[in-house]
Amino acid sequence: MKESLMDIIVCPVDKHDLELAVDEEEADEIVSGTLTCTECGETYPIEDGIPNLLPPDMRDEVEA
Amino acid sequence: MAERRGLDVDVYQPAEDSGLLARAATEDGRLGPDDVALEVGTGSGWVAATVAEETGARTLGSDVNPHAAEQARERGVEALRADLVSPVRDGALDAVLFNPPYLPTDPENEWSDWMERALSGGESGRALIDPFLDSVGRVLAPDGAVYLLVSSLTGFDEVVARAAENGFAVETVVQESYPFETLSVLRLTSE
Repeated sequence: MKESLMDIIVCPVDKHDLELAVDEEEADEIVSGTLTCTECGETYPIEDGIPNLLPPDMRDEVEA
Repeated sequence: MAERRGLDVDVYQPAEDSGLLARAATEDGRLGPDDVALEVGTGSGWVAATVAEETGARTLGSDVNPHAAEQARERGVEALRADLVSPVRDGALDAVLFNPPYLPTDPENEWSDWMERALSGGESGRALIDPFLDSVGRVLAPDGAVYLLVSSLTGFDEVVARAAENGFAVETVVQESYPFETLSVLRLTSE
């Protein structure tokens, strides 16, 4: 994902701002990292350049 | 067919409905290089990529399906995994595009894989359309527009009524008839 996506996305649960922690970056893309809600603390992973912003209950259901 | 698994089997590929949605969003003339659009349920990413190319708008693509998000990203679309518009900031989007899973499905006959999720709209055909219509207004900029593909199989009047209940003005941008259904793209704007 591009860092400028931070202007568009929020926590899917409570719509508060997310904080970005970058693990790996390539050119202008964040390849892996973590998005953390500044309000509820829920974390959302960024893997292979794609942020997974599914709400936690759905994420578990889909991965199952 | 086995070697095609993971590509055509798990991710909905562009079809007539995709073409119609891309055409409506570009030919409507409201999107330009300063705009941000999101295609919900982007699948292969073809519609998002086409709209970005034709209008210059920054066009994101979201999907529940990880294989779809990957394919969209490989196509050059800014991809994310999301449930409808739930992780989008209030008023952040100039346009939202959605070619929803719309086929009415008998619960007895539902099969549960990624393609089923891409096609089935539950018993009414509107299992995802209704929550989409109830939530999309929050993320739309004041002069933004929603482009929603609707099949006659899903119930055109029911979709229009639900949109109106949510305070949208509804216009049909394009409509095409096919042997088993009529496909329309609606433009929803805030009244």
